[in-house]
Amino acid sequence: MAKNLHTDNAPAINTVKPHFLFAAIGFLALGILMVLSASNFFEVSYNHHLLAITHTAVLGWLMMLIFGSLYQLIPVIFDTALYSEPLAKFTFWLTAASIVFLVYTFWIGDYTVYLPYAATTMYLSLFFFIFNIMMSYKNARIKNFKSLFILAAVFWLLMAETEGLLTALNFKYNFYSASHLAHLHTHAIMGLVGFFVMMIFGVGTTLIPMFLISHRLNDKLLKISFYLLNFGLAGLVLSKYFVDNQYIIFLFWVVVIAGVIYYFRYIHESYKHRMKKTLDVGMKYTMLSLVFLLAPVVISLILIFLPQTGLKAYAEVIVLLFGLSMIFGFFTTIALGQTYKTLPFIIWLEKYQKLVGKYHTPLPRELYSEKVAGVQFYIYMVFLILTIFAVILQQTMVMQIATVLFLIVSILYNYNVWKMFFHDSDQYINKRDKEILNK
Amino acid sequence: MSKKDLTEIRKVENDIYDLLKTVMDPEIELDIINLGLVYNILYDGDNNVRIEMTLSTPACPLGDAITDNVINTIKKKYPDFNVDVDLVFDPPWDASMISEEGRKRLGM
Repeated sequence: MAKNLHTDNAPAINTVKPHFLFAAIGFLALGILMVLSASNFFEVSYNHHLLAITHTAVLGWLMMLIFGSLYQLIPVIFDTALYSEPLAKFTFWLTAASIVFLVYTFWIGDYTVYLPYAATTMYLSLFFFIFNIMMSYKNARIKNFKSLFILAAVFWLLMAETEGLLTALNFKYNFYSASHLAHLHTHAIMGLVGFFVMMIFGVGTTLIPMFLISHRLNDKLLKISFYLLNFGLAGLVLSKYFVDNQYIIFLFWVVVIAGVIYYFRYIHESYKHRMKKTLDVGMKYTMLSLVFLLAPVVISLILIFLPQTGLKAYAEVIVLLFGLSMIFGFFTTIALGQTYKTLPFIIWLEKYQKLVGKYHTPLPRELYSEKVAGVQFYIYMVFLILTIFAVILQQTMVMQIATVLFLIVSILYNYNVWKMFFHDSDQYINKRDKEILNK
Repeated sequence: MSKKDLTEIRKVENDIYDLLKTVMDPEIELDIINLGLVYNILYDGDNNVRIEMTLSTPACPLGDAITDNVINTIKKKYPDFNVDVDLVFDPPWDASMISEEGRKRLGM
């Protein structure tokens, strides 16, 4: 019996697993919707098919992956158990149903009949998630800047969702004086930067040094990054509401970017001092995603000074590039990488924890096909390059090819995820025993 | 304790040391001895073994799997032994504790 073990707080596998499965299906659905809507990418902003695609990506794919990963990581980051596993299971089903409902209402272009209800159920499910995380934080034995990133992320999620719900209800009840677009901008900033970037940074501060195996990093960099990001975001959102002056917005955006730079410095330090010199496919995705984050940073600066740059005619293209570079360049790249880092361990622990030392067991990375993951990686890189060209040159044909490549990536990803889920430990051990006997 | 007993105790401890070279950290893909995770192996000569070891990070999600592996690996050869794994985090583990052989295998 091991004494002083910190891993007794891990959640049950059936609390975590469904999130990864839903995310994989969501990723496949995203691929199919993108192929069906390749030509819609060049239509006016907020085309209802693009809204359906965006919400499939951020909720059906990324949010579900974050839910599952975070439930698994709460014991590591907070050093406490998840506040309520039954609530997490209930939240999963409510979130899953809400995502399907919400995406469907966007897909059919309904903003008044079903959207208010879909947005309300979505809001409730995210609220339960936020409540569970905040109550877990209350019991946390580790309260440092890594855990504060998570807390700040769920706060921004609450803000983004409140804005999203009000905007959805406004389509029916029309109580806002400002345009829908202004509210969609703050909803997007709080959701994409406040929640997703903050959450990925927070989880990354634990996972990246853990997987690169680098110790004694300078936490001061994290601290500065945390303050800059949150101060900048708060200023950005408040000035959008009350001032809407491009110079003030620029100032706060620079503060946010400074926060990103400090975070980069922290990760760079971890990378420089890493013990594992060779990066596996999961870490290749992860490190590249951080480089890709530079794209939306640059694009956002162009967006702020659009009227002065002479590029106003290209506003929609630039907005689209910002969204795509954020969702596919950064979020999806890191999500693909971290799936290959976390899911094999979750499945391996379920199947082999009690068998280690008694039988020959595989390594976690042997549960999926590294070859398929490698091919998927290169196709994904080609997809990203083609998408940038297609958007800049407004080439529907190139976009169609890019979306087909994306669908292939989602099929390969699903192949590996399902391969892990259907891994049969008895069969593996029997096969190994026979091999040893034959020798 | 006679000299013969002490020799027997050292022999079992050395044997367990070799056995633990087969216990891998599944993420780093290096055994726990070469990683420097095992601080002490104590056998009392009366079927009781205490392994004093650490993890690469205190909240390592693979902690259970590694300690179970230690217990199962020792019990496989010594089924009558009581194996006690004591996790300690002082001194905290760092890369300087990796053996020369481990460094070579990790390409450091």
